[in-house]
Amino acid sequence: MFNFIFEQIVNGIITGSQYALIAAGMTMIFGVLRAINFAHGEYYMLGTFAAWYAIERMETSYATAIIIGVVIAALISAVIGRLVMQRLVGAPFQQGVLATLGVSLILQNAVILAFGGGYKVFNGGWIEPVEILGVGMAQQRILLIVVAILVFASLEWMVRKTRMGKSIRAVSQNIECCQVNGIDVESVVRRTFLLGTALAALSGILTAPVNVSVYGGMGEAITLKTFAVIVMGGMGNVRGTLFAGCLLGIVESLVSGLVGLQYRDTVAFVALLAMLMLRPHGLFSQRARF
Amino acid sequence: MSITLDSPRAPSPRLPAVRWGLSLACLGALLLAPQVVDNYFLHAMVLSMIFLLPAHGLNLILGYTGMLSLAQGVFFGIGAYASALMGIHFGTGFVINFLFAGLFAALVALPLGIPALRLRATSFVMCTLGLVVIAQAVAKNWVDLTRGDMGLSGVSRPKFGFGDNVFTVVQIPHYFYLILGVAVLATLAFIALVRSPAGRCMVAIRDNETLAESLGIPTWTYKLLVFMLSAAFAGFGGSLYAHYETVVSPLVFQMYYSNTILIIVLGGGLGRMSGAIIGSFLFVAVTEALRITPELRMVLYGVVLLILVFMFPHGMAPLVERLTDFLSRVGLKKPLEHSDAGSVGGPHGR
Repeated sequence: MFNFIFEQIVNGIITGSQYALIAAGMTMIFGVLRAINFAHGEYYMLGTFAAWYAIERMETSYATAIIIGVVIAALISAVIGRLVMQRLVGAPFQQGVLATLGVSLILQNAVILAFGGGYKVFNGGWIEPVEILGVGMAQQRILLIVVAILVFASLEWMVRKTRMGKSIRAVSQNIECCQVNGIDVESVVRRTFLLGTALAALSGILTAPVNVSVYGGMGEAITLKTFAVIVMGGMGNVRGTLFAGCLLGIVESLVSGLVGLQYRDTVAFVALLAMLMLRPHGLFSQRARF
Repeated sequence: MSITLDSPRAPSPRLPAVRWGLSLACLGALLLAPQVVDNYFLHAMVLSMIFLLPAHGLNLILGYTGMLSLAQGVFFGIGAYASALMGIHFGTGFVINFLFAGLFAALVALPLGIPALRLRATSFVMCTLGLVVIAQAVAKNWVDLTRGDMGLSGVSRPKFGFGDNVFTVVQIPHYFYLILGVAVLATLAFIALVRSPAGRCMVAIRDNETLAESLGIPTWTYKLLVFMLSAAFAGFGGSLYAHYETVVSPLVFQMYYSNTILIIVLGGGLGRMSGAIIGSFLFVAVTEALRITPELRMVLYGVVLLILVFMFPHGMAPLVERLTDFLSRVGLKKPLEHSDAGSVGGPHGR
């Protein structure tokens, strides 16, 4: 029994680092735009689909597919960032919700139109098992954790040390002051959006070998889970999302192991609702940032 | 005589007459439609009138009270399931199922609304999106009640009359008249609601909630009531859908329905009575009649949503308003400059 729970917790941390990778992007975009990106799950889906396409139709290796997937998702989000996201600077919240919802409809259904709505098998990845501390795990899962830690470490570094990171922090604190001081707010928004969506795509491609199936509607459920993670982590708090993502992953895998698999996806919603009711500023922030 | 520069142009005294005339002309055209067009177009129009009901609900909650709810599809689905289950387990007829579906959707909205309405802005939207996901999970996994993915089939056709004179609605033209009747009743109820003092309180909450509260409007009660009323509208629509399609499956909880309802209201014109009507015919009847696949339709809806958000925030209704305004002035010799009636009502609340 103990071994079983330990295994579930390890699995939860792995799923959680996937959630954290996606949510980091969404929370950064919220930080600079004050708008929730309802299309965030679609970039996760786009990246995965592009990697699947590269492997199935172009017969590339998985490593190349990772690069192709991220680049294609980034290209699409560069276009959308220019056409849609940068116009949302200072817009009322409803505009942000509706515009990103429109983007989500376009992306999701365009993919379904192009490739069909059915499930597709993702052939790729490094899935040989390795034994660590008595728990057998696929290499892919270890890779996911390592990548998550690396990404969060470099995000920390970037936000503190680089010019781009500093400008992201500045924009998320006060847009008017940035405009006065010669920071190009729209370009910061575009870059943050690009970075965030590329992370979502990366997360999708790295988990695809574990989840095996790829389909056009896969982004929707992920978007909702990401809401739960960013609210738990505190909106705009990047470090918080790593812990919140892992927490959600652990609770989800414990619930699916002990209660029943079909209740797994409701955990995120219950967590979202409870957090919004009781601690809307998140688990890790002392006070509301926004 | 107006002194301020930006006071609105006084509406012509004939404006109400022109509006009623145009509405009646449209209604007359609809009544004659089954004689002219074939069944496929009638089917498209029936669908658009079914979607009109939840759209009125969304117009009430979003256009008049200012809360963006994506949960209309949930209550639509709840209404469809409630109607189908009543018919299957208790053998009740259409009228009872229809009334029950709306009441039940409103009752379900009460416990969901109490926590959800404590949230504002984006948090409320996220929460209502969460309700959609939960509803999908319940419909798929509560197999004892909903039969899961298999869905409920064989929902009875609407029957009217007693004894030997029972008339069963099967053909599409008959459905058309039945649903047209319901849609007209719902629209009249909606207009009455919006023009009542309660409707003005809703507008006050939308425009400035704090100010409304300070004037003694019980904003919390109103918001909860509007949430339940909009759910009831959606539930009635769901019941019509169940009795028209005769099959209910978890697919009714797809985002497709919530998105369609949203597009209808935004595209038609938020907070305008004619908005949902124009929107439902434009975005459901026309796309259905052109036989566009659901996926392509969703892509188009997405594009329309972006265009609406960035270019036409008021939707299509202003075009119609300009038309009625123009028609009401056609015969008048000179513009009415000395009328003071124009300042009453303002640009909102039509």
